[in-house]
Amino acid sequence: MENKFYTDDFEQLLKEKSDQFRMYPSKRVWHSIYNDLHPGRKCPSVAMSMLLIIVLLLVGYLNTGDDTLNRKFTAAADEQAGDAKNNSKKVKNKNRPSSVKGENQQLINAGAEGPAGADNINSAAIADISFLTAADLATGLNNNLAAKHSGVTSVVAKEQPGSNGNAIFQKVDAYIKTNQIFTDIATVNKKKKTRAVAPSNSNNNQDMDEEELVADDPTGSKKIAGELKDADLTVNTLVVLPGLNNAQNAASGSEKSSTKKDLNAKKTLSAAEKSWIENYALLNRPSRRGKWKGRLAIELYTTPAINYRKLNMDTKGSPAGFTNADVNNNVSHKPGLGIEGGIGLSYSYAKNLRLKAGIQYNSTSYGIEADKTSHPILTSVLLNDASTGYSYYHTRTTILANPYNTTALQPVTLHNTTHQVSVPIGIAYKLASVNKLEWFAGASIQPTYVFGGNAYLVSADMKNYVSEPSIMRSWNLNTGFETYINYKLAGFTLQVGPQARYQLLSTYKKRYTLVEKPYAVGVKIGIVKVF
Amino acid sequence: MLAGCLKNNAAAQEALYSRFSPRMLGVCYRFAKNREDAEDMLQDGFIKVFTQIHQYRNEGALEGWIRRIVVHTCINILKKNKKFSDSVDIIHANSIHVKEEVIPSIMQAKQVVECIRTLPLGYRTVLNLYAIEGYSHKEIANMLDIEESTSRSQYTRAKAMLEEILIRKKIIQKQKKRTTFYGAVSPG
Repeated sequence: MENKFYTDDFEQLLKEKSDQFRMYPSKRVWHSIYNDLHPGRKCPSVAMSMLLIIVLLLVGYLNTGDDTLNRKFTAAADEQAGDAKNNSKKVKNKNRPSSVKGENQQLINAGAEGPAGADNINSAAIADISFLTAADLATGLNNNLAAKHSGVTSVVAKEQPGSNGNAIFQKVDAYIKTNQIFTDIATVNKKKKTRAVAPSNSNNNQDMDEEELVADDPTGSKKIAGELKDADLTVNTLVVLPGLNNAQNAASGSEKSSTKKDLNAKKTLSAAEKSWIENYALLNRPSRRGKWKGRLAIELYTTPAINYRKLNMDTKGSPAGFTNADVNNNVSHKPGLGIEGGIGLSYSYAKNLRLKAGIQYNSTSYGIEADKTSHPILTSVLLNDASTGYSYYHTRTTILANPYNTTALQPVTLHNTTHQVSVPIGIAYKLASVNKLEWFAGASIQPTYVFGGNAYLVSADMKNYVSEPSIMRSWNLNTGFETYINYKLAGFTLQVGPQARYQLLSTYKKRYTLVEKPYAVGVKIGIVKVF
Repeated sequence: MLAGCLKNNAAAQEALYSRFSPRMLGVCYRFAKNREDAEDMLQDGFIKVFTQIHQYRNEGALEGWIRRIVVHTCINILKKNKKFSDSVDIIHANSIHVKEEVIPSIMQAKQVVECIRTLPLGYRTVLNLYAIEGYSHKEIANMLDIEESTSRSQYTRAKAMLEEILIRKKIIQKQKKRTTFYGAVSPG
């Protein structure tokens, strides 16, 4: 039987109030739904962020001072200014002649009007400029530019047959009109302090407030450069004009004649320099040496060494068997032969300082004189209990006795060996250098991993030896000190010198009461190759 | 808007979501343990809505169709998470004591909803499905994989418990002719 309840009002209340109830979800709910429904457009914010980052990087790259345009218009003058500096005389010149006369009047007239409204300068226009013919530029173009832009007297050109002088002029004019070139030149000039003299108007010489250098040559090529004022845009263009001959120069006008005389009085460029200007003026880009070139070197080396060890006690809590005896005086051990081999990189951080890092393999070994017993002997090794802080005896059986101060019946040599891989990180300082010889001193720290070896532990009463490789540390730390001579040969450098290596931490884990710190002395032989 | 959703247009989908999500989240909140679980239910529900939108045949209100999908989603999630293991067995119903301190002091609709959420999961689910969503006990039994009699019993107890809570909270007043059961239900 089903019980009846007076339910209508109550249930109606529940339904009404529930329907009235609203909750507004968080944004992540819609984002999750969106991403599930549109997986291809997942995380649009991430895509937009990446796009923004790329745009910012692109803008940053384009706005760096290392731009191609600068080099196109300044490379020639920069290079030549450095060479011509010794062959040129400083003269002053300020403003370029505003009018020019001569045999190029036709071209002057043709290009006199120039482009109208050419405000947009793009890389295409700049690229075209590099292919102006020398004939075009040497004649009317230069004069046209001079006519329209005070101070501009010539433009760099590379031989390119078939160019249209007028069209080229328009592009160059449009480019210069934005003053982009002037600013670039000014920046480069100021950076490199490149100076050159334009074919000056002798009447304006005394008005010049900027120094310039002039280089002239028999063919009439002029190298012209100057520092620009940022405040006003009066221009001393940074240009090189190839192919101008003396006749053309002479025809440029009376204002230039005096200039030409001045120029002729100067020393000339060499034939090689002229050829370089004519062929590579705009396109020349100085080779950029890699940042690492000449500084980074790779080393291959090996170091045969003699290994020793020093023992100390590290008992905790109650005195134990080692207490009244110096363990070094109660064991017979002898040096052993070890080897080190590795490869490393060396970076010349400064003139005399090099940073070094690499990876190397070390094999260490030394001998322990022991006596083989005829039957197993019960002995004990002294260990440290980390939890209690006391040393305790750990019983072991062995057939190896310590024959110290006794005659060994069955002598045997035990070898405590280790096989290590380490990462030496250090520095080397050049102490002296003569011709091909360099003397260095260096130090390094070497995090080390021990991946194999043997360990024979002396018993608590020092009468026996117990084999226990598990007591060896896996990780350790070594230091290295070296001094060596570098001898430079063709293509590589020989390196030889003594080296000492010392282990900072005990060979054994802390629970063994004996602390062993081996050290090695050897001769390092290496070959160095500079990149 | 519906046509845009059929074309998988994101703007149309967002418009539909914005329009119905507040109420649907309220539905989910009555089933869920907390707000985060409710939003998860809402998310799954609307994903099903958009992927099955082509099955809507304009029979009845769109909201009702969406609501049914969301409710089924909530039930499936509860079943999947085996939340019904928390539900109260009828035999132990007498030992239930309502902890008034867990009922927050809120107003009107939210007050009622919060009171509903204080019920044990099994009671709450059956109450939601029968009294609010309008499912029959047979349908509820199929959805929850229980017997129809169990559904009826659970609802009876849930309703009684909720009534007591609402009376204590003075949201409703006790009516003289109401019969309240706290013991085991005899099969009828």
